[in-house]
Amino acid sequence: MRSTKQSVVVAGLAIAGLALGACGGGTGAGTAPGGTAGSTGEEAKTIKLVAAEYSKDHTKAFWDAFAKTYHDKTGYTLEVQVVSWDNIDQQSSTMIQNNQAPDILNLNAYASYAKDGLLYDSDAVLPAVVKDDILDTFVKYGTYQGKFYGFPDLSSARAFFYNKTLFQQAGIAAPPKTWTELEADAKKITALGGGKVGYALPLGPEEAQGEFSMWLFNNGGDWKTDGNWVINSDKNVATLDFLKKLADEKVTQNNPARTNRADAFDLFKSGTAGMVIGFSPLAADLDKDKKVDYAVAPFPSNDGTESKTFGVTDYLMAFKKPGNEKAVKAFYNLYYTPDQVNTFIKAEGFLPVTKSGVAYFSNEKALQVYLNTLPNAKLTPTDDPTWDKVKLAVQQNLGGAMNGSPKATLDGLQRTAESGG
Amino acid sequence: MSTTTAPAPSAAGTPAPQGDPTARNRDPKRRKRILMAVGGALVAFVFVAPYLVMVLDSLRTSSDVKSTPPSFLPKVWQWDTYAQILGDERFLNWLKTSLIVATGSTIIVILVAIPAAFMTARHRFPGRGLFLLVVLVTQMFAPTSLVVGLYRQFFELNMINTYGALILTNAAFNLAFAIWILHGFFSSIPLEVEEAAALDGASRWQILRRVMLPLTLPGLVTATIFTFIAAWNEYVVALTLMIDDDKKPLTVGMRAYITGYEQHWDQLFAASVIAVVPVVILFAIIEKHLVGGLTAGSVK
Amino acid sequence: MSDSTTVSPGPAPVAGSGDRRSRMPSRGGRRRRAGRIGQVHPLVALLWLAPALALILGVVLYPAIKLFDASRGEYSITGLRKGDAGWDNYVKVLDHPDLGTVLRNTVVWVVAVVAITIVLSLALAQFLVKSFPGRRFVRWAVIIPWAASLVITSQLFVLLYDYNYGIINHVLLSLHVIGTPIDFLGDDSWTMFSMVVVGVFVSLPFTIFVFIAGLGAIPDDVMEAATVDGASPWQRYWNITLPLMRPALMIATVLNVIYVFNSFPIVYTLNDRNPGYLHDTTITFMYKLAFKSQEHDVGMSAAAGIFNVLLILVVVGIYLKIINWREETSR
Repeated sequence: MRSTKQSVVVAGLAIAGLALGACGGGTGAGTAPGGTAGSTGEEAKTIKLVAAEYSKDHTKAFWDAFAKTYHDKTGYTLEVQVVSWDNIDQQSSTMIQNNQAPDILNLNAYASYAKDGLLYDSDAVLPAVVKDDILDTFVKYGTYQGKFYGFPDLSSARAFFYNKTLFQQAGIAAPPKTWTELEADAKKITALGGGKVGYALPLGPEEAQGEFSMWLFNNGGDWKTDGNWVINSDKNVATLDFLKKLADEKVTQNNPARTNRADAFDLFKSGTAGMVIGFSPLAADLDKDKKVDYAVAPFPSNDGTESKTFGVTDYLMAFKKPGNEKAVKAFYNLYYTPDQVNTFIKAEGFLPVTKSGVAYFSNEKALQVYLNTLPNAKLTPTDDPTWDKVKLAVQQNLGGAMNGSPKATLDGLQRTAESGG
Repeated sequence: MSTTTAPAPSAAGTPAPQGDPTARNRDPKRRKRILMAVGGALVAFVFVAPYLVMVLDSLRTSSDVKSTPPSFLPKVWQWDTYAQILGDERFLNWLKTSLIVATGSTIIVILVAIPAAFMTARHRFPGRGLFLLVVLVTQMFAPTSLVVGLYRQFFELNMINTYGALILTNAAFNLAFAIWILHGFFSSIPLEVEEAAALDGASRWQILRRVMLPLTLPGLVTATIFTFIAAWNEYVVALTLMIDDDKKPLTVGMRAYITGYEQHWDQLFAASVIAVVPVVILFAIIEKHLVGGLTAGSVK
Repeated sequence: MSDSTTVSPGPAPVAGSGDRRSRMPSRGGRRRRAGRIGQVHPLVALLWLAPALALILGVVLYPAIKLFDASRGEYSITGLRKGDAGWDNYVKVLDHPDLGTVLRNTVVWVVAVVAITIVLSLALAQFLVKSFPGRRFVRWAVIIPWAASLVITSQLFVLLYDYNYGIINHVLLSLHVIGTPIDFLGDDSWTMFSMVVVGVFVSLPFTIFVFIAGLGAIPDDVMEAATVDGASPWQRYWNITLPLMRPALMIATVLNVIYVFNSFPIVYTLNDRNPGYLHDTTITFMYKLAFKSQEHDVGMSAAAGIFNVLLILVVVGIYLKIINWREETSR
């Protein structure tokens, strides 16, 4: 075969040309290769932060200003890299693959990193006063195997948003207190016609775990209890059954399994949807557009008992690298000063993570609904590395229950969790 | 090659014998031209329509982009989005990167492809077929599947976050097409032209520069536009290699307008319009050369 | 230049080269000429080829080797390399329950997009070489999807297709073509169709221009002779135009196969809301394995990347066979 012979020759040439090729690439390089900073024991003067982009106008501006203050006050230099949420997973993974982890990484997970032994715990880099100031809930969910690794940068809590105009038109006097009421209200709003949507239910891959968490917490369920996965508990199956029922009754938007959170928000922002689970950034958008007359209320529980809220926090984790301890500690020391952390949180429209922050924001009327619930918010089990994979499995599979069996879907997720992801 | 396309009569239906310009069949001819112009307008509309929506969306408020029911025209014409974008330092940095990277890649591709194409098209030497095969195989690779390897490579070279990394990558992955096109052109130049120059005592370089290159101008134009557009629109590699905000090209930077927490549709689309316009203008300017350039390349 | 001048010849030397090309069918004559082309010493040749070789081997081949290296490692979800995996990652990819779906999608995606693009482009190119008022502007319009980046176009189509706000549904509803909106991107029976439409849309400009060039290279005398012989337009097209377009068809097919196979943004962006791998092609499958799926495994993704490369090499092999590589380069 002529072609096989040729491909052998190609391979041969390819290998022979490797050295040449590497040289050729090298000539284009402006700087000399090698020389990884901090590979020796000496102290690092420059540290690198990879931060997630919450908003185009605020995130980068804040970190740039922060880096300046940090340099002025401590003498260390902070290199800031702002990465979009879509890519930060890829960025961080690529960096770690190449032994090029940043000193500080801002992400929505930390436990897997702690498990891989990549992180400093609070004893090494977090000043004691700072640790005491962080809300107990976040310390709890930031602790892996008895040590605190997941330092929160900001938080959010979900709440129930409803369109007052649509409620009025449908003759609904007050926001629902139970799921039965919610279902009835959704039917009434959908019955208004004109494509109105009773309840906007996003179970698409973006944030399915968030939406489902809110529902299952308010049916007395959980992802994990006493260290055991209980994803397919009777209560959780009943919860997902109820969501499927809402979808089957067509009181949700079209195709909830394929709707991402941002799409559900858009429906609410355009005045199409009557109810949605939202958070403070949504409120900020609504206030800016001034198109929808809305109100925020606690999310109804199934049986009318006290509402639970689903809280979310992202993390600023510190990577162990020789000599960077002091600079990293100085970073946290500065970040958690009320001036910095609260400025950041306020600009991004999120919620505080510290006790002093809760006090600082307490006079903000618009945030009251969330602030009251924040100290008792329930989080997903972010302290378990397995969750990092279970979360992805939930995102990819939960929506499937809308066209299939909720029980089977949750059984599958339970198996994934029990087998360690 | 131009004349083939000029006279219309050989097209569909109308059996209008040529060279019979009576008043009677001038009318159907005109009608046909008008019909074709209408058809042309329809074709143009299909290709432009989505981007027309984009332009209109860039002039709406962001919330108007996603309003029900949708309206064709903006409720409020918001022209200052463009001023905002053009005054935004971050956007200007992304634009700068895109320009530097696309221009740099194009220059490298042209400089590297010319000698290679000239050598393989006009000379015989052992390994020539092999080289052309290697070039062809490169053409088959997309940077997408190699992005992890590329990151490692440029990391080892300490070139993450440099224009150089992106320029080299774009150059390497677009080189094959340029060599191909130019190879076709060089092969088509009559040997006598080269021989005459050689008799005058010109060296190989001089032959290439003074005689051959002017004759391959359309091929150069084609290769240039291909590389420029490919580099201008490259996304996956830039996403991975360019981490600093001011080093991101437009395709990557523009993602900042749409995050999970906020969506500036108006700004995204205004930025997109600004990103598309230079390329379309470039295209319009050299379109006629492009057609000529592809001819030689396609008669492979 | 007025509109009626059609496919413009450009400056004189260009026309010269174009005409020469168009006299192509005399293969024998060309080969005789080729024989007189100068022999050079391999080292001299190497000097001239060195920059190209350096770029190809350094920036294409070296990363490919690095990719292979990654495919043989065991990685944590964080990206930390925990050890060597041997061929485990390859086995895991081959064992993946959705591999069949992904391969089927890839074939459907590539074949549908390329075939439809070629057929439409043949028709449109035939139209665009005719002379009519405003042709110039039509050609500029055709260029736009090429000039706009795939990322932008994909994002734009997500909005155009939207169930609630999309202009396509709005128009169809207003014209009473449909009674309820179509979920172009979320309804499994529509998703692939919707992606193919965008794939074709962005592939058309390049293909049309290749065909315009190909049509321009067909010698006039051949056509005229056929017309005199009384061949019908269809016969002329089938028996003369198409065979003479073979080289252009070949180039367009192969380049489109490569571009479409490797196309990431369209499939990824339009399929964004759909969980699992129901509508993924091998390229997006590879990406999701590394960063979005529950596997979240860089090693597995690299193994899938190696399979991608092999797949493309098979396509090259078939291509070389078809065009009869030896003969093409030895002239």
